[in-house]
Amino acid sequence: MSLSPPDTRFSLILRLRDVADHAAWDEVLEVYGPLVFRCARQRGLQAADAEDVVQEVFSAVARSVEQWLNQAQRGRFRSWLLGITRNIAINVLTRAPRGGVGHGGDVGLAELTAMPDPDGVNSRLFDREFEWQVYHWAASRVRDSVKAVTWEAFHLTHLEGLTAQETADRLGISLGNVYIARSRVMSRLKEVVRQFEVTE
Amino acid sequence: MRPRDIACSDEPLFELLRQDDHAEAPAEIAHHLDTCERCRSRMEVLAAEPADWERARATLSAAATGFPGESRAMFDRVGTWKTWKLPTSSVDSMVRQVLLEPSHPEMLGRIGRYDVERVIGAGGMGIVFKAFDTELNRPVAIKVLAPNLAGNGSARQRFAREARAAAAVVHEHVVAIHNVETGGPAPFLVMPYVAGESLQQRIDREGPLGLKEILRISMQTAAGLAAAHAQGLVHRDVKPSNILLEDGVDRALLTDFGLAQANDDASLTHTGFHPGTPQYMSPEQARGDAVDARSDLFSLGSVMYAMAAGRPPFRAETSLAVLRRITDTEPRPIREINPELPDWLGKVISHLLAKSPGRRFSSAAELAATLEQCLAHVQHPTSSRLPETCRTATKFSGKGLLRALQERKTAVLAIAVPLAAAVAFAFLGPRTRPLDPSDRALNQPSARGNSDRNDETSTPSSPSIDWNHSAAEIQSFADDLARDAKRIEQLWDEEPLPSQGVRP
Repeated sequence: MSLSPPDTRFSLILRLRDVADHAAWDEVLEVYGPLVFRCARQRGLQAADAEDVVQEVFSAVARSVEQWLNQAQRGRFRSWLLGITRNIAINVLTRAPRGGVGHGGDVGLAELTAMPDPDGVNSRLFDREFEWQVYHWAASRVRDSVKAVTWEAFHLTHLEGLTAQETADRLGISLGNVYIARSRVMSRLKEVVRQFEVTE
Repeated sequence: MRPRDIACSDEPLFELLRQDDHAEAPAEIAHHLDTCERCRSRMEVLAAEPADWERARATLSAAATGFPGESRAMFDRVGTWKTWKLPTSSVDSMVRQVLLEPSHPEMLGRIGRYDVERVIGAGGMGIVFKAFDTELNRPVAIKVLAPNLAGNGSARQRFAREARAAAAVVHEHVVAIHNVETGGPAPFLVMPYVAGESLQQRIDREGPLGLKEILRISMQTAAGLAAAHAQGLVHRDVKPSNILLEDGVDRALLTDFGLAQANDDASLTHTGFHPGTPQYMSPEQARGDAVDARSDLFSLGSVMYAMAAGRPPFRAETSLAVLRRITDTEPRPIREINPELPDWLGKVISHLLAKSPGRRFSSAAELAATLEQCLAHVQHPTSSRLPETCRTATKFSGKGLLRALQERKTAVLAIAVPLAAAVAFAFLGPRTRPLDPSDRALNQPSARGNSDRNDETSTPSSPSIDWNHSAAEIQSFADDLARDAKRIEQLWDEEPLPSQGVRP
C-alpha cells in the first residue's frame, strides 16, 4: 500500500468528476460509504434499505458532482453528501416501505414523522461520525505502511496513555526512537486525513 | 552519545518525519532525541498541530463514540462496505441513455408511463429500476435491456421472446411479468416490486441457513421451476441472486427467467462487463453443451449447497477454473462443512449435483414433492416419514450405473470388472451379509421396484439366481454398489475421498 502523495490531497473529490476513475471512487466509497450507511440506519432504515440508500446516494453523486463542483459557494463535500443522504433516506422511508404484506409502510412513515426536527443534531453527529470514519480508515492505511513497532509506539503513548519511557521499555527501543515513531505516525495520519478535508 | 554535538534545528527533524519508516533513523538524531526536550516537542508540532493530535486520540481511542445505538462492530462483521464498488461509469451512462427527464425532481427519470425512482441493480444484460406505475398506482421493478445491446437485433429479439415466454409462467413462486415493451429505443419489461432481499444477500448476511429454511426455499424454488419447465422454459441462470425472499411472508420467488439465454450472445463479450459468476452453472452448461430442464436442477443443487454451507460448491480463482471444477470435481461433502445438517440433505444435494443429467432427480416437480415430504418430516418427525429418495445413498438404477460406467474410460473399467464380479457373487453366491431388519424394512417397497428394473435391464437372466434372496438384501447391495460407483467417480476425479469416520 502506498499513501497518496501530498499534492493529490485536495483533488480526491475533484477526481470524482471522472466516473471511470475507479481508484478515486473506491477511496471515497471506503470512507463515505459506511458513513452514509450508518446515517441511513440512524434515520430508522433497515440494513438492506440502508444499503440501497448507499447505492442511490453515490449514483446521485456520480450524476451531479460536476454541477456541485462548479458552484461558487458549494460548501463542504460531506455537507452536500449529508443532504443527499437525508433526501434519499426520506424517499426510501416514504416510498419503499419494507415488509410488504403484514408489515405495512405506515411503520416507516411513523418513524419519519416521529423524528423531531433533526437537522442541527444530525449534522453535528454526522460530522463526528465522519471524523471517526476518516481517522479509522486513515489509521488502517498508515498502520500498513509503517513497521509494527512504529505503530505500537504511537498506539501505546498516544492512545493507551503509557509514558514514553514505559513504551521504550516495553518495545525494547530507545526513548528517542519512541518519539520519532509516534510523530511519524501522526504526521502520516494527518496527511491521509487531509485528503478528506475538502475546502470551500 | 554526545547529543549536544547536534545543533537543535527543524530541518533534520522534518527529514526524519518524511523518511521511509523501514530505514533506520540516523543514530545521532535518535540519540539527540533521547534527551533533548526541545526537539521532541518541536518534532511533534512539525508532525501535526496539537488539535490534530487531539482529534486522533479522540477518534482512535476505544472510547470514541459516534451515532448512538448503531454498532460499528455489526457493520464491520457484515463487511458490507467491501461490496460497495459501484460500476459507476457504466450504470450512470446506462441510466442517462434509457431514461427520460423526470416528471418530479426527486425521481430519477421516466420510462413509458413509469416514474423511475432508483436503481435496484445492474449487470451486463441491463439495469433494473424501482419505479412507480402511474396508471395502476403501484410500485414495480423495471428491467431495461442494456443500451449497447438494444441496437443489436438478435439480442433485442431474444429479449422480447424470452420476456414473452417468461410472462406465460404464472406461479406463486415465480416473479410475474406485468408488461413487456419492446417498441421503444430501450426494450424493457415490468415486474411487481418485491420488498425483500435476494437469497444471495441473505447468505452474505447470515451465512448458512437453518434446515427448515433450506428446505422451504428449495421446495418453493423447485415448484416455481416446475411451472416454468411445464411451459418448456429452461431458466439457465438459477442462482441465489435470482431467488427473492419476500419480507414478512415466507415466500421465495424465482426471477430473471430465461433472460440468461441472451448471455450466449457473442456481442456481450464486448460490453466490458464481467460476465458474472459461473459458480452455479451445470456441467453441461460449463462445457457449452445443449441444456434442458435438468440443468436447472443441478444449479438448484448448487444453490441448496450454498444455503447449507454458506458458500457455493465450486469455487476457484478464475471463472475458467470454476468451470473446470464444475465439470471435473465433486464438492466437499456438506456435512464436513456443516455437521449439524442431516445426512439425507447431503444426499438430496449430491443427487442434484450428479454430473450426468440422467442421474439427477427426474424433474423439478419430483424434487419439489420430495422436499415437501422432507419438510413435513422435519416439522413432524413422528407422523411424517422421510421420503424414499432420501433414505438411499443415490437413487439406484442398473441402467444408470451401466451408462455411468460406459461414460468412464478404461481406468474405470479396470475397477468395474471386479465390481461386476461382486455383483454376480451377490446374486449367485451364498448369503454372507447379515441383515439389519429395522433399517431394511423401511426400504422394502422401493427395493422391490429396483430389483424388478434391474432384472429387465442390467442383470443377465440366469436360471441359477436365487430369487428367494430378500428384496431387502438386494437393496443393501444396491446401496453398496451405488456407493462404490460414487467412490469410483471420486477416484476418477482425483478428489480426496470423504473420510469414512464422518459418516454415521
